[in-house]
Amino acid sequence: MENNAFRDRVFADNEHEEIPDSFVCCVCLDLLYKPIVLSCGHICCFWCVYYSMNCLRESQCPVCRHQYYHFPTVCQLLHFLLLKIYTVAYKRRESQILVEEKKSGFYSPQFDPDTCESQAKFGHSGIPSSSSAMKLTSNSCNVETSECMEQLGSTTHEGDEGTIHSDRKPNIIATPQEEISLQQKLSVADVTCTMCKQLLFHPVVLNCGHVCCQTCVINIDDDMLRCQVCQSPHPRGFPKVCLELDHFLEEKFPEEYRQRRDAIEIQQIKVKLETPSSCSLDNGNKGENRDWWLDPDSKVHIGVGCDFCGMFPIIGDRYKCTDCKEKMGFDLCGDCYATRSKLPGRFNQQHTSEHKFKLVQSDLVHNFMLATGDTSIDLVSVGNLEITSDGAALFDGGEDNDHSDSEATN
Amino acid sequence: MMISGGGGKSSWSSSTSSWVPTTSVSASGKRIQREMVELNNDSPPDCSAGPKGDNLYHWIATIIGTPGTPYQGGIFFLDIKFPSDYPFKPPQVVFKTRIYHCNVDSEGLVSMGILKDDWSPALTITKVLLAVRSIFTNPDHYNAVVPGIAHLYSGDRAKHDDIAAEWTVRFAK
Repeated sequence: MENNAFRDRVFADNEHEEIPDSFVCCVCLDLLYKPIVLSCGHICCFWCVYYSMNCLRESQCPVCRHQYYHFPTVCQLLHFLLLKIYTVAYKRRESQILVEEKKSGFYSPQFDPDTCESQAKFGHSGIPSSSSAMKLTSNSCNVETSECMEQLGSTTHEGDEGTIHSDRKPNIIATPQEEISLQQKLSVADVTCTMCKQLLFHPVVLNCGHVCCQTCVINIDDDMLRCQVCQSPHPRGFPKVCLELDHFLEEKFPEEYRQRRDAIEIQQIKVKLETPSSCSLDNGNKGENRDWWLDPDSKVHIGVGCDFCGMFPIIGDRYKCTDCKEKMGFDLCGDCYATRSKLPGRFNQQHTSEHKFKLVQSDLVHNFMLATGDTSIDLVSVGNLEITSDGAALFDGGEDNDHSDSEATN
Repeated sequence: MMISGGGGKSSWSSSTSSWVPTTSVSASGKRIQREMVELNNDSPPDCSAGPKGDNLYHWIATIIGTPGTPYQGGIFFLDIKFPSDYPFKPPQVVFKTRIYHCNVDSEGLVSMGILKDDWSPALTITKVLLAVRSIFTNPDHYNAVVPGIAHLYSGDRAKHDDIAAEWTVRFAK
């Protein structure tokens, strides 16, 4: 995008850290925070993607309008990378977002700060991303804070956060020199492929947030693309290369990058012949989703997303967790319920495998309206009404039954 | 309402109490502030925009009629209203200066795809102004809100241009 100079200046004035355009979110125009890479390769913040999504039908990438149907998981590799390079700015974003999250009552996924170190130290030893994903489940710190929130109000929570922040103080008030030393600590170990364990080359980010080289994914001979680390499926065709990250790698590790390119080059040509155009509009296995709003029998759960695969809105069966107390709720689509996924929620819900589910019927009124025709107009106006009446709450993962609650708390 | 600037931000780490009010400017407000700075630094040709008063969500903009069009030399004032969930919903753009144009209704409301269903949160006011400016040169008479003007535009272009130029002289100078 344009205006590099301006943005650089703004950031430089405030933080003595220059954020290149490639790491500025196109939606909030600020440093990417908890970045999500869409399957078209464009990056936005977690909340920016969330609020950009269409709760009625397929969503579009803000940049290229590439259609997608699943809310991807935060790319932890990029998250820790940005935290490492732009520590001050990233911490500022963190505290800003936290204030907004407290206000709304919806929380983005928390990543244990320790995983950052562990990733740097043990980056080569194996699967850093998956281990951090596990940390997400057993993030005791957050259980405590969210419980405090509910029991004692936000003051306790703030107190908790305050202590965390003071622990991190040395980082926050780092002088420019320290920043430089931090930057120098950036190593290839921070940006390795989850598959081949080498420096990422033409990185693609899967729906689960795991990053690997384009060539590493292609070698999988399976109809539905699956992440080899967490086994979660990647819906709708092949993801495109995240060019921003690719350029960054080329710039930061020119030598290693060149070696990787040379090694891959011959293989790459073969691969390109096999997969002409990364089939961005390929419907994959979920082709039937496209026309749900024309089909009066389709069970659409407007504004409700699956916490495992990210399908939004859920079409078909919806299972709502009856034990998750978070405002956001916890829901699964039929497929994910069948596979009994054990992953935690996408909004930091403290979901465990012991929790019980109930099958929720989709809203009959909406389906009736769908059946009576006039679909698009009615749906859009209904959507707008709901959104304006309840702001963010309606976008969340499962509020159909709790409208009155959420409105009261707002 | 806090207006952008380094003051608040520089103190964010010093104490909790001082940065809370600053950061309580909503996400939409922050984004609008950023756009404001961007516009001040690098505004698109023949365009200017800024908040009308204290309200960050209500801007006023001017566009100078593009040379070579019947709107040449006119100064057109626009009202821009940002919804509270901006940039996830498009801003509302209204001509305050009367204009003879098939994409601008009698109330001055600009009818463009990107201000309705084709809105993308990655669009900025800069881009919106450029788009509005582009309909001076190329009216979208296939998606007109004033069918009469669109009809004249496609049928008798010279007459359309005469009327538009006359309106420009009468209302925009």
